Amino acid sequence: MSNKATAEPLGIFFRSWSEKNAGRVPGNIPIWVGILSELTEFGIFFTAYFIAKFYYPEVFSGGPQSLNTTIGVLNTIVLLSSSYFMAKAMANIRLDNLKKCEHFLWLAFICGCIYLCLKTYEFHWNDLQGYSTSTNEFFTVYYYMTFNHFLHVGWAACAILWVIFRLRKGAYSAKESTGLEALAVYWHMIDLMWILIFPLLYVLR
Amino acid sequence: MMKYIGKLEYYLIALITITLLNTFLGENFQSTALVSILVGLTVMYKGFTVIDHFMELKGAHKYLRLMMKTYFVIFPSLIMLTVFF
Repeated sequence: MSNKATAEPLGIFFRSWSEKNAGRVPGNIPIWVGILSELTEFGIFFTAYFIAKFYYPEVFSGGPQSLNTTIGVLNTIVLLSSSYFMAKAMANIRLDNLKKCEHFLWLAFICGCIYLCLKTYEFHWNDLQGYSTSTNEFFTVYYYMTFNHFLHVGWAACAILWVIFRLRKGAYSAKESTGLEALAVYWHMIDLMWILIFPLLYVLR
Repeated sequence: MMKYIGKLEYYLIALITITLLNTFLGENFQSTALVSILVGLTVMYKGFTVIDHFMELKGAHKYLRLMMKTYFVIFPSLIMLTVFF
């Protein structure tokens, strides 16, 4: 298949949705299909949370008081910082500053690892307090949501390692950074989901 | 020192400050209507900031930006709606 053929649009979307009319797509179309799927998945979790909270208001009112809020806050700060480092990595690749780009990608990766360690400790801490998935409806939703998010951070952190490997091989530059940008938007999406999860599980009584 | 503090740094500081403020509200006040509305609005702001400035959708594909922003209108609005139940 020639390059020209692969570059042509599929022709299944409205013309107004094309990059020419609506603006540039950051990353690539496949990553946005993935992001849309993830948004749908988490959207179902959030809907389940609100339905459960409607039927069990007292359980959900007491739930956040049972959790380790300090770890929740630390994880929020860590993920926000990781998003910042990812944005800095993108800013540096546009300047062809590969060393700095790699430096910021490592920082984002370290933040991802810190998040995973803190979350693992939090699950252990919950276990020590005697909380499990079957404690009550709040904890069922809590584990369902946070463990799923944990998995997303885990595989996205692995993707950062892959992008660092590709960066070192010279795959990205100011002119060609599609793969790196695809990772960046995916990582930000994971951060966005935590921005919603944090108040629902740790703040609202 | 100041020259190193750009827009992204300010947004990061704002996002962390809002997180700490929300936690303070949650820890010190029972979930009153005002707390739920404040939390809902600040979550919306945090989402919009990440979408526009970290994800860089400001000036990018307008429908993707609209989709992301709509998401961050719907769910924070549901937080505010919890006031009524």
